[in-house]
Amino acid sequence: MINNYVLVLAGLAAGPVIGGLVSGADRIITARVQSRIGPPLFQPFYDVAKLLGKEAVVVNVWQAFCAYAYLAAAAISVVLFFLQSDLLLIFFTQAVGALFLVGGALTSTSPYSQIGAHRELLQILSYEPLIMFVIIGMYLETHSFKVSDILQWQEPLLLKLPFLFVALGYGLTIKLRKSPFDLSTCHHAHQELVKGLTTDYSGPFLALTEIGHWFEVVFFLCLSALFWATSWVGMAILLVVTYLLEIIVDNVSARLTWRWMLGYVWAMGLALALVNLIWLYAAR
Amino acid sequence: MVSDLTTILILLPFVSAILIYLIRVSAIRSLIVLLTGFTLIACSLLLIPYAPFTWSPHALFGVPLHGVVQVADFVLLLVILYFGYIRRSILIQALSVFQIIVMVYVEFFMVKGPISTDIFYCDNLSLIMVLIASIVGSLICFQAIPYMKNHERHLHLEKSKQPQFFLVMILFLGAMNGVVLANDMTFFYFFFELTTLCSFLLIGHDATEIATKNAVRALWMNSLGGAAFAVALPLIYRDLGHLDMQMVIRTGPVAGLYVLPIALMCFAAFTKSAQFPFQSWLLGAMVAPTPVSALLHSSTMVKVGVYLVLRIAPAIQLNFLSQTVAVFGAFGFLAAAALAVGQSNGKKVLAYSTISNLGLIFACAGINTPEAITAGILLIMFHAVIKALLFLCVGTIEQHIASRDIEDMRGLYAHMPLTALITVMGVIMMIMPPFGMLLSKWMAIEAAARNIYAIIMIALASALTVMYWARWAGNLMSDPYAGRQFLLKLEIEKQAALTWLALLSLCVGAGVMSVAAPWVYATMVAPALGGAYVPPFTMGGGGLESTSGTFAVVPLCIVAAFGFLVAIWAVKRAMRARVVAPYLSGIQTDDPGVFKGPMNQPVKAWARNYYLLSIFGEERLTTWVNLSAGVLLTLMVGGVL
Repeated sequence: MINNYVLVLAGLAAGPVIGGLVSGADRIITARVQSRIGPPLFQPFYDVAKLLGKEAVVVNVWQAFCAYAYLAAAAISVVLFFLQSDLLLIFFTQAVGALFLVGGALTSTSPYSQIGAHRELLQILSYEPLIMFVIIGMYLETHSFKVSDILQWQEPLLLKLPFLFVALGYGLTIKLRKSPFDLSTCHHAHQELVKGLTTDYSGPFLALTEIGHWFEVVFFLCLSALFWATSWVGMAILLVVTYLLEIIVDNVSARLTWRWMLGYVWAMGLALALVNLIWLYAAR
Repeated sequence: MVSDLTTILILLPFVSAILIYLIRVSAIRSLIVLLTGFTLIACSLLLIPYAPFTWSPHALFGVPLHGVVQVADFVLLLVILYFGYIRRSILIQALSVFQIIVMVYVEFFMVKGPISTDIFYCDNLSLIMVLIASIVGSLICFQAIPYMKNHERHLHLEKSKQPQFFLVMILFLGAMNGVVLANDMTFFYFFFELTTLCSFLLIGHDATEIATKNAVRALWMNSLGGAAFAVALPLIYRDLGHLDMQMVIRTGPVAGLYVLPIALMCFAAFTKSAQFPFQSWLLGAMVAPTPVSALLHSSTMVKVGVYLVLRIAPAIQLNFLSQTVAVFGAFGFLAAAALAVGQSNGKKVLAYSTISNLGLIFACAGINTPEAITAGILLIMFHAVIKALLFLCVGTIEQHIASRDIEDMRGLYAHMPLTALITVMGVIMMIMPPFGMLLSKWMAIEAAARNIYAIIMIALASALTVMYWARWAGNLMSDPYAGRQFLLKLEIEKQAALTWLALLSLCVGAGVMSVAAPWVYATMVAPALGGAYVPPFTMGGGGLESTSGTFAVVPLCIVAAFGFLVAIWAVKRAMRARVVAPYLSGIQTDDPGVFKGPMNQPVKAWARNYYLLSIFGEERLTTWVNLSAGVLLTLMVGGVL
């Protein structure tokens, strides 16, 4: 029981701490790739702290509701992961957060927010089936949806689910808001939609969405880590390599249209998932 | 006691319907509707402790019961033939004549001696259906009272048509209770056809050209299903020598014997539940007054189909037929979800979502594992309550803003705050954990994981589902800049008390059922699985747990409630925050959504939803979807020959 409380606290702390640090490291590495020095490692924390201190300004009071609900759902999903609950349930909980973020943008009538929100819905539509396939692949291999059982598995899942890991990579790229899939909003200042999805979130509410995003990043990294959960070293290697690849992809590709994204991600992701799932079905 | 309750549940609506038709006084009619509704609700609740039971009355008021139903059956078919004649539909005439011939053959030339051991059979599955029809159905009828008053005022009718309307609405509830309680298949068939006739009358109620056309379509499509069911009867009797549904299910098909009649029953179920390619009758049904849609979509009619397949599912376990039903259902789930994405008409979104969810229930029945059947039953329950709620919301909104288009519902919160919030709540309960609908979907997906064809379609469909619901909820809360003055002193809009009663009780009911889901499972659903399936979940810590998954319902509800309160507190605080105009990338003017453009000219900035018509438009998809569904159906029926 005490153990569970520790896990809850660990989950709650992991989001902001790890998520923020990953974001800081990401900014430094991205800057180096582009021959810049980049901000200090803790810059994301300074940014969020500053935003939190600003005056609360809203275009619609329900934005506040959505920002809090986004953060809450994202945090709960990470906590549930730390409690080693059911993966599918954790994923659905995370989806609640993603939808509230969209909902907050939809409550504004600004076309930038509106189009950003619809693009975000398309992004969700693109990655959701892939993540579900990943979870189903894990179930077919380990016979369980529970993180606790998957962690008990003696063999790295990557060996049996390599194609699904690539499919997860697509999902990760969308979720980390990296090019070519950063249609709804992005970290860089080259957005034709101003800030898209988050245009009308400001001050403390924007800070909350940022922290929520950190939680989501942590959840997706945890999901990736399950692919090599048998050794800490393997896990670290897998995550670092994956994240570096994400940064490189982000830097070498241009943003693409939703039509391309939906077609490409569904076609490629579905093909990869199918091959891998058929493999698993055949092996059973 | 059991016999009294069952008699009331089936016969009272018939008696009330006649009274409503005869006594043409508005106040008395409303009173009869209310009394009937409350009696049905009370009786259905009282029935709970008695399930499972069987009941075989031999006579109704001294007349042999079987004879009564026999006569009623032929009268019913003749009435359908009559409507086929006056609507000049050869198809309906042919189908009803065909059914009459089949039934004459069965009743007078084939059957010798008793047809079944038990005429009525009520296990927990039937009980759940009775509860849904009686409670949700009655609430819809209550809301129909103020709705129809407005409706007729709007149409400027000289002579009220409400007696006919409520006659059929109430009759429908009795037919529904009858169909789910019947065990003798000739009785089942009678009530099955009665729901077809009721839906025809209700769809055509407004008697406009389009209403008549759609009603005729509904009648022929459902007659096709009725004909398929009728053909199944002699085939079963030939093989088994009786028409007792429980005994049919218990026997299980031996060496391919009578798989064909079961496939025909599945076919009948698909037409009833408006699966592709028969979806057009349900889509056409939205021309009727909204309470009709609410009734057809949630607690009656379409639920007969899924009930029938769930009922006979144990008989086709491990059978090719079951596989094809799973794939067919999953396909319906996917195709309807895709079509819903392309719709801006709120009622059509709801209609496609119904077809989609029914597809998922069929998929569950076809996957046919204990988890899947549990998911199917829970889906029926939660879908009935939430879909009724959403239809009634759209009906209420439509009477207020004179539009059912989602685009016109933008910022509805400023005009109808409570209705808008209830609608948003309904949407949230449709797609988000910890609510029951998602709990059932979670079960369905975990159960489907071993069926590669079904799971791929289900995963894609569930992503599409989220998309069309989320944007609607967002639109309702989207506040035009002008509305912000109202935000601080919003007044709850005025509605009839019965409207609030229906909306609030459905909304609260769905919420309570969600929190109580583990207990609903343990007391209602697990016993409904009968002897054929081992209850797959155990209760622990207020959650449900299977060997491969876990869903902590109550702890999640508590956390979610806490999060909700914090978020509401944030809204309260935000009310004191500075409210500014949405960003338009220009100098703001006092007009909402207008900025100062070049030459100081005002420029209006606005955006519509993405409907992605080039991918998800009806014109683009319907033909292909119907074709594919036709192929799958052929595979299903052909595969068992």
